[in-house]
Amino acid sequence: MNLDVTAIVLQTGLLLLLAPLVSGVIRKGKARLQNRRGPPVWQPYLDLLKFLRKDMVISEHASWVFSFAPYVVFFTALLAGLMVPMVTMQAPLSLFGGVLALVGLLALGRFFLALGGLDPASAFGGMGSSREMTIAAIAEPALMLAIFTVAIAAGSTDLSRIVAATLGPTWSLLNPRHVLAFAALFIVLLAETGRLPVDNPATHLELTMIHEAMLLEYSGRYLAFMEWGASLKQLVLMTLLVNVFFPLGLAPVATPSALAFGLLAYLAKLFVLSCIVVVVETTNAKLRLFRVPDLLSAAFVLAALALLSTFLFQ
Amino acid sequence: MNVLPELLPALADLQEGFPGRFTAVHAPRANEVYFHAPMEVVAGFCAQLYRKWNARLVSLFADDARTTEHVFHLYYVFALDAAHGFFILRVPVPPEKPEFASLTDAIHAVNWQEREIQDLFGLKLQGHPNPRRCALHDDWPEVHPLRKDFDLRTTLPAFQGVRHKFREVEGEGVFQVPVGPVHAGIIEPGHFLFSVAGEPVLYLQLRMFYTHKGTEKLFESLPVPHGVRLAESISGDSGFAHATAFCHAVERAAGMEPPPRARALRTICLELERLYNHLGDIGAICTDVAFVTANMHAMRLKEQVLRINEQLTGNRLLRGMACLGGVRFDFDAGRQAALVQLLAWLQPEFESLVELIRESSGTRDRLETTGVLKPEVARDLGVVGLAGRASGIDRDLRRDFPHAFYDQVDFAVPVFTEGDVQHRLVVRREEVFQSFAIIRQVLAKLPAGPVRAEIGELPADRVALGYVEGWRGEIFHWIRTAPGNRLARCKVKDPSLQNWPALTEAILGNIIPDFPVVNKSFNLSYSGTDR
Repeated sequence: MNLDVTAIVLQTGLLLLLAPLVSGVIRKGKARLQNRRGPPVWQPYLDLLKFLRKDMVISEHASWVFSFAPYVVFFTALLAGLMVPMVTMQAPLSLFGGVLALVGLLALGRFFLALGGLDPASAFGGMGSSREMTIAAIAEPALMLAIFTVAIAAGSTDLSRIVAATLGPTWSLLNPRHVLAFAALFIVLLAETGRLPVDNPATHLELTMIHEAMLLEYSGRYLAFMEWGASLKQLVLMTLLVNVFFPLGLAPVATPSALAFGLLAYLAKLFVLSCIVVVVETTNAKLRLFRVPDLLSAAFVLAALALLSTFLFQ
Repeated sequence: MNVLPELLPALADLQEGFPGRFTAVHAPRANEVYFHAPMEVVAGFCAQLYRKWNARLVSLFADDARTTEHVFHLYYVFALDAAHGFFILRVPVPPEKPEFASLTDAIHAVNWQEREIQDLFGLKLQGHPNPRRCALHDDWPEVHPLRKDFDLRTTLPAFQGVRHKFREVEGEGVFQVPVGPVHAGIIEPGHFLFSVAGEPVLYLQLRMFYTHKGTEKLFESLPVPHGVRLAESISGDSGFAHATAFCHAVERAAGMEPPPRARALRTICLELERLYNHLGDIGAICTDVAFVTANMHAMRLKEQVLRINEQLTGNRLLRGMACLGGVRFDFDAGRQAALVQLLAWLQPEFESLVELIRESSGTRDRLETTGVLKPEVARDLGVVGLAGRASGIDRDLRRDFPHAFYDQVDFAVPVFTEGDVQHRLVVRREEVFQSFAIIRQVLAKLPAGPVRAEIGELPADRVALGYVEGWRGEIFHWIRTAPGNRLARCKVKDPSLQNWPALTEAILGNIIPDFPVVNKSFNLSYSGTDR
């Protein structure tokens, strides 16, 4: 394991700062498409600041799990983020099995998120947790399969090597396995980040919530960590999509000009992906809960086809 | 006795069926016939009207007449829609034996109304399948606020907090999800207890009446003209309809009719109220399936209707427009032109909104076959208004009992039998188009003349039923006058009271995350129910 402290610090800073902005941009975009002015893009930062300053109200039924969960959610997402190449081709961290560890970390975060929802014994939290796990059971395999597609092509599960291989001589935007895996991962992104048509991040209706239902009992600092963790996870998944499938512009060496170009390219790609998410969220109604598995199964099938085509067209 | 010719066969049939049982039969208005009879007659009277004359019991209430006649009276109001008239049966309940027989087993639609009488008047129900507290919660002391000897200013001691015992639903994997009475949105209190197995709902129990404001009692303390303002506040979204129903009752008691121009303007305002509510609801239904874009457009259109409301009446929600004997403000040529202009703009805009919703397959997938209220269930529960019309109940007071200016305009009453959320949306959509047509026709035929007539002081001891088809459904105000231009009783019947139980039927077999949209498709008023 090769630890570069500067890179870790820089990427941690970038993750922490960028994650709320992405949420803000998506919210702003949705507002604009709905003919609303919408809150400013930095509103999520202000929300986090507000939450951090507020007192907490904690159910008397809650155990240590409730207090522990926000930190797990936050740090697993952060750690996962350090394993994805953001600006440079080399991610600052590579742990046991690369992308497998990343999926495992996100799963661990989700596990604690669901526990945190269950712990205070409120009816809504339990509902949210059960729905979250139902969806995860199908979304996670699709995520794994989609990533395996590119991992097999690269001959490694290390994301830095995957990116390098994707960018290599064999890279082609229209490669069927690329297109299929990208589509699968995009659907997984919508499901994992609680976006339409799977979950409505803007609703006040407790009975329809998935992700938000698990957070209903959280307030103050814990809520800040939960929200920040959720936006980190969103950023990690989006980075995975844009950098693994479109690695163009990633800085091969750590020179200032290459880094600056890498950062710009990265932000541009993120912006485009955010716009796509905005359009999907604006033009779609939410699926009936029992139809969500159909959508995720479609993602799974796409990913399986991607994997298959890796061998067919090799 | 001056009675509508269409009512005569039913009247003759009843007199034949109950020879000598009626102590009096009188018709203060041609479409409003009163029968005075002893308690034993009720079940038979009811059965004969239901079976032979296709009547329906639209309102059931009590009146404390102990000061004048030493008895309580129960009033059973039947609507004979095909004959365009009301038969009202009045039976006495002696104070020494304050009991009455329940009809709920035969007519489920009166369940809550009977229990409300039991709570508010202390008349004991006999033979009711579930005679528990309803209007007053379990923790209220044994008081009966609508009795005359209960002082309006009574302060009750702090309640002991007896919890309502909800029905247990048991089984493997069955658990209960309590929602409310405090909700996340800006809505009023109501408790929903879901019994679910996973996501599907097995049983839903409702607990309403958290906001008992004693409105009916308050009417008894006010001079009649002040009652109009009180009626406006019964249910915020139906302010004009409630106020107009109240005015209608008072005008009928006074034996006068507002001038034609006043009735025409009332019709326009009623349709404007329907428009802004339907537009808001269409948007809100889309929001509940997260198709927010359509809602934003609906809000945009609703806002323009609210602005024209303000321009026409000085208030965005038409408050202060209604008054006894007519309306407060006239629409001059400029205002009429503004209204015509609004309609010309609104219609194509609304058509494109309809198109936007129609083209969203995801939205249709969510709405179709969701929250089905079957026609036979709707009939049994006496569901009224737009929810009824989506479930095959072809009733509309505007057509069957034309009030205001509705006898002068042509319009269709959209009726569907599917009874799902989609069709409650479609009924709203069609009614919006009908409203456009109604307003245009009224404007084209707008009679000249004054917009209100003096009504004078009301004579004592008159009874009258006022009715209006509000946007949600039929609204009834029944009054009995007292000396000194006061009311001895004002009974308010809001369509919400009738329709809430239907929600518990419509949600069965659906999944919990679909409840908000099913609820929104009914959009019932808590305040109108509780009063």
